[in-house]
Amino acid sequence: MSNPPLATLDASAFRDLVLAGAGCLEANADAINALNVFPVPDGDTGLNMTLTLRAALDATPPDAASVGEASAALARGALLGARGNSGVIFSQFLKGLAAALADNDVADGPAVAAALDAAADAGYEAVGNPVEGTMLSVMRAAGGAALASGMDAGAAETLRDALAAAERALARTPEQLPVLKEAGVVDAGGQGVVAFLAGMAARAAGEDAGYRAALPDGAASSAASANVSREFLEHTEEEMYGYCTQFVVQGEGLDPAALRERVMAVAASTVVIGDDRVVRVHAHAEDPGPLLSIGAAAGALSRVDIVNMDAQHQDFMTRHGYEAAPARAKRDRAAFAVVPVAPSEGLARIFRSLGAAAVVSGGQTMNPNAAAIIAAVEEANADLVVALPNNKNVILAAEQAAALAESSIAVAPSATIPQGVAAMLAVNPDLDAEANVAAMTAAMSGVRSGEVTTAVRSAVVDGVAVAEGQAIAMLDGALAAAAATPNDALAAMLDAAGAGDGALVTLYYGAGLAEPDARQAADALAERFPGAEIEIYDGGQPHYHYLVSIE
Amino acid sequence: MAVKVVTDSTSDMPSDLAAELGVAVVPATVIFGEESFKDGVDISHEEFYRRLAAGKTTPTTTQPSVGDFLEVYKPLIEEGHDVVSVHVSGKLSGTVNSARLAAADLSGATVEIVDTELASAGTTLAAKVAAEAARDGADAASAAEAARSAAAHTEVKFTLDTLEYLRRGGRIGGAQALLGSILSMKPVLKLEGGEVHPHEKVRSRGKAVARMREIASAGAPYEEIAMMHSSSEDEASAMAAHLAQLTDKPVLAVRIGASIGAHTGPGALGFALRRKAG
Repeated sequence: MSNPPLATLDASAFRDLVLAGAGCLEANADAINALNVFPVPDGDTGLNMTLTLRAALDATPPDAASVGEASAALARGALLGARGNSGVIFSQFLKGLAAALADNDVADGPAVAAALDAAADAGYEAVGNPVEGTMLSVMRAAGGAALASGMDAGAAETLRDALAAAERALARTPEQLPVLKEAGVVDAGGQGVVAFLAGMAARAAGEDAGYRAALPDGAASSAASANVSREFLEHTEEEMYGYCTQFVVQGEGLDPAALRERVMAVAASTVVIGDDRVVRVHAHAEDPGPLLSIGAAAGALSRVDIVNMDAQHQDFMTRHGYEAAPARAKRDRAAFAVVPVAPSEGLARIFRSLGAAAVVSGGQTMNPNAAAIIAAVEEANADLVVALPNNKNVILAAEQAAALAESSIAVAPSATIPQGVAAMLAVNPDLDAEANVAAMTAAMSGVRSGEVTTAVRSAVVDGVAVAEGQAIAMLDGALAAAAATPNDALAAMLDAAGAGDGALVTLYYGAGLAEPDARQAADALAERFPGAEIEIYDGGQPHYHYLVSIE
Repeated sequence: MAVKVVTDSTSDMPSDLAAELGVAVVPATVIFGEESFKDGVDISHEEFYRRLAAGKTTPTTTQPSVGDFLEVYKPLIEEGHDVVSVHVSGKLSGTVNSARLAAADLSGATVEIVDTELASAGTTLAAKVAAEAARDGADAASAAEAARSAAAHTEVKFTLDTLEYLRRGGRIGGAQALLGSILSMKPVLKLEGGEVHPHEKVRSRGKAVARMREIASAGAPYEEIAMMHSSSEDEASAMAAHLAQLTDKPVLAVRIGASIGAHTGPGALGFALRRKAG
């Protein structure tokens, strides 16, 4: 495919460019996920940005009359569909872009430049405390370079300059953020912005997007084999209709981008990633036949898996321990309600038992979007609903929900499940809503949060070498211990926390651990910390052997 | 002719204090299966908690009958006294109703009935105020008013080892919502409007006791404090020492007897904080 460079974008070309940016982002999603600062399994930046952009594109009509109309629809879709902090910042970026283009029928080079610059401004405004060395720095560099392209530059030229500056800014991120340098990676969100711009710039120049993100050490093997993470696939299972169709195409000289376009023409929720030898396809379609034909035309099909979505949905919910959602009668209008986010049915049940009106399913590596939070808030049916994000990567989505919803939502910014539980306990029906939000927020600081998981890659974190497969324990977000078993890591972490006389240690076990494992851990801890009270509960959360509350 | 104060055994007034103030205590009845006991009369604290811990049968309680009250009121009236009768919250027990019916049966006599909307140490403080007023020469109406005012200025907070006894006895009130919790709870509870309500949700005994000390300190100083407990002596004496700093008068330490203990279980610790009226 080779077309002349575009000087001016009309609505159709604009959408086409964003589609190309989305395709490039998606093609690099696994690589972006692997740019994981911590060896904990939270590498989902590529996933979150891809899903955010996909929601944005779904909301953008192909026949918009103007660039202003198309970009406004894009931004609105992104706001509601944004997941994770990176997705939320990205959605704000698109909002800034749309605001600058609002009155444009078409966009020439200077208009694109002004839009990119406004987009960077909006990105900075989205976060309370902007940090350099992140996607914000990359956006800023892109906007600045685009403005410097001058009044005579066409759209293609402006995007090319923006991309070049973005790539340079990305390379600088390890110098700006020590935590990136220590882990030997560039910023994942910044990498996402570069991939997006690369796709757009290539399409504007009339070329194919050949951009490939550099992989950090140790991550190359998984991405090269087109090993789509399970999380990624599960996240695409939202449009629950028809057949979920998955297969692998093998051959010589495969073109994943071309294959993706053909698949997207006949299916929804597509994920097509791979290289010139192996391409993995995941898509939802009313009829799986054409999908298989597209694959077979490109190479040899293997690992074909076609699942009826109704059955699959139930299976998905069961695998994650969710009980079938009962048909619920509408709740009576209440003055005040709390809606927490919880990553498993076990934790959701605990929150409900403490009085949560509705629970949003999600958390680490499955960040709910604003729309999901708003839906739960509507279900709660109260004059004021306090959302508890219970994960640092969900806080911005919750704030986005608060800004977008018609209901009155306040966010008590809990970054962990233990903080969420502490906030929930602080709710006092005698107080008014505002005082409750204050009490809930204050209660969060009274608890320390620990997490025990298995390292997904080798890394040096906070000066400690961690080997892939080791059990690691984090305390308030910082690495506290690495050990052979989860129980050993847990004990070492509590040593660091100083679980002394009168401390209450609550263990929520999950991720493959059963009650006897947790019981054994609790008994050992009771001996080690005789002055502390140790309690265990079945959290059933994925990835984390233990979520630990120390208070 | 004088004013005599009567209370019931749910106020847990220590017998030496009752004797000193000349307060008559009408006992409630505690029933273990086939056996029934007059609270504080034919069952000791030790025996009650021993039976409770044995857990063979769950005790139930019965308020004093109208006849029980008449037995106490009549001799006092015949000696020419007026009576002020100070009782546990009518929302927790029918005791105050029995007292009212007994009073109505004594036409011509002066029997003032006070519903303190409190229990245990709270009721004890109100009864003590009435007895002191009577000793200082107040008439029945004034002594009753002093008790009502004292009750209105008294807050009762407590924590329990388990909510199970409150639930079984149907006295759980607003703390009902806490029963559904999967996480263990050692809430700080309060009496409000004569009923049990949660004050703060706390997860462990240590935190609950620490929180209670903070709550008491926050409102200091107090006119008078009474502490009530069915917990260990160590825990109780530590709390008493803390409370002693918050008031000029000696802290009254009240052992929770059978009729309240049947609804709190062992391991209850609480206090009644009385503020100066007006």
